[in-house]
Amino acid sequence: MRTRIMIVLPLPAISNGDEMKAAVLREANQPLEIEEVSISKPGPREVLVRPLAAGVCHSDLHFMDGSYPYALPTILGHESAGLVEEVGADVTYVKKGDHVITCLSAFCGHCEHCVTGHLSLCQSPEVGRMPEERPRLHKGDETIHQFLNLSSFAELMLIHEHALVKIREDMPMDRAALIGCSTTTGVGAVFHTAGVKPGSRVAVIGCGGVGLAAINGAAIAGAGMIIAVDMVDAKLEIAKSLGATHTINAGQVDAVGEVRELTQGGCHYTFEAIGLKATTEQAWQMLAPGGAATVIGMIPVGTMVELHGVDFLAEKKIQGSNMGSNRFRVDMPRFVDFYLNGKLHLDQMISRHIKLSDVNDALAALKTGEEARHVIMFDQ
Amino acid sequence: MAKVEVLSEVTGNVWKITANVGDMLAVGDVIMILESMKMEIPVEAPVPGKLVELPVREEDSVDEDQVVAVLET
Repeated sequence: MRTRIMIVLPLPAISNGDEMKAAVLREANQPLEIEEVSISKPGPREVLVRPLAAGVCHSDLHFMDGSYPYALPTILGHESAGLVEEVGADVTYVKKGDHVITCLSAFCGHCEHCVTGHLSLCQSPEVGRMPEERPRLHKGDETIHQFLNLSSFAELMLIHEHALVKIREDMPMDRAALIGCSTTTGVGAVFHTAGVKPGSRVAVIGCGGVGLAAINGAAIAGAGMIIAVDMVDAKLEIAKSLGATHTINAGQVDAVGEVRELTQGGCHYTFEAIGLKATTEQAWQMLAPGGAATVIGMIPVGTMVELHGVDFLAEKKIQGSNMGSNRFRVDMPRFVDFYLNGKLHLDQMISRHIKLSDVNDALAALKTGEEARHVIMFDQ
Repeated sequence: MAKVEVLSEVTGNVWKITANVGDMLAVGDVIMILESMKMEIPVEAPVPGKLVELPVREEDSVDEDQVVAVLET
């Protein structure tokens, strides 16, 4: 007689991941709430990152105030640097302890955009989780929508392996965080989207984090004239320290007339770094024949822009720029080198270091437009 | 009874449909979530009414101003 012995092994407990504190947006135009949120364990191609620094960016405000609608609840924040905490089974690019910058331009690596070198235009959903999968962020049964595949106003981030880049370990984390969005967006718009040439005439409208990065980028690119336009004198002073050769306070003079006067005919390149219809049209009006306007700012959904049609006879061009048309795995380590060898000036971009619990104050300060960036510092 | 077409404000993909045909929706109820340039953009009911048509499915591509849902008020 044969006996069948069945050995019943206990099933491994299903891990719910970790608990963490995060700043949750539950309703547009309401303050973020600091809540305990669950974060899942890494899937095969995912990486758990412990952010050490996260910039509070003006783009976060666009989503907070509803000018860009976003699925709620969500955890804002998209500009961060930190340490790898844990990697999924198929991840070979990074290991626990690596220093990384995260980037919202997560790329699949095999779509038309990726294989033609335009990684920032990748729209593949595979860098996130699909609706039938357990969400990366949740609170009990409630899905917390991940913001731009990142959500960095949180003590942990679970992201696709193609949403981060390794960096050298002597780079300060607060400066590295800025490279995660504003620096790459501004400098990239100059280098990649517009391709600014040495000696050219450049105007940058808006001297927030992105506009200042564009000014710094134009200086690195060797632009001959760099005109900074803003309505806050303190920001124009920072612009000078980053390489602006001229400044215009648009609250006091007609910025278009002033630029055309200074340049004796207009700019080769203009950059709009605010996200308004009026300033986009001004960027167009500031161009010399053959010039190119690059719109970096996030113009609210539904807003239309008007251009004088006859200007096209002068071969003027206008184009958008998303995240500086980046190839961030290549760009960001170079920007780190630029900082460490003194070409990229990130120190004066940070006005304050804060705790996660102070994030609403930082967002309120951004609204006034009078301060540079606040950076959230997380305890190690 | 009037039919109200709900249009997509952006070009993107349908990531998740969160309402069903036959549901009674209030203003602001989320019908679906679109994905466009890394953003998860909700499509909300612009008026109260019954969801009577969902001409798109998950993973479909949608264009700006394309009808993605129809409500009956």
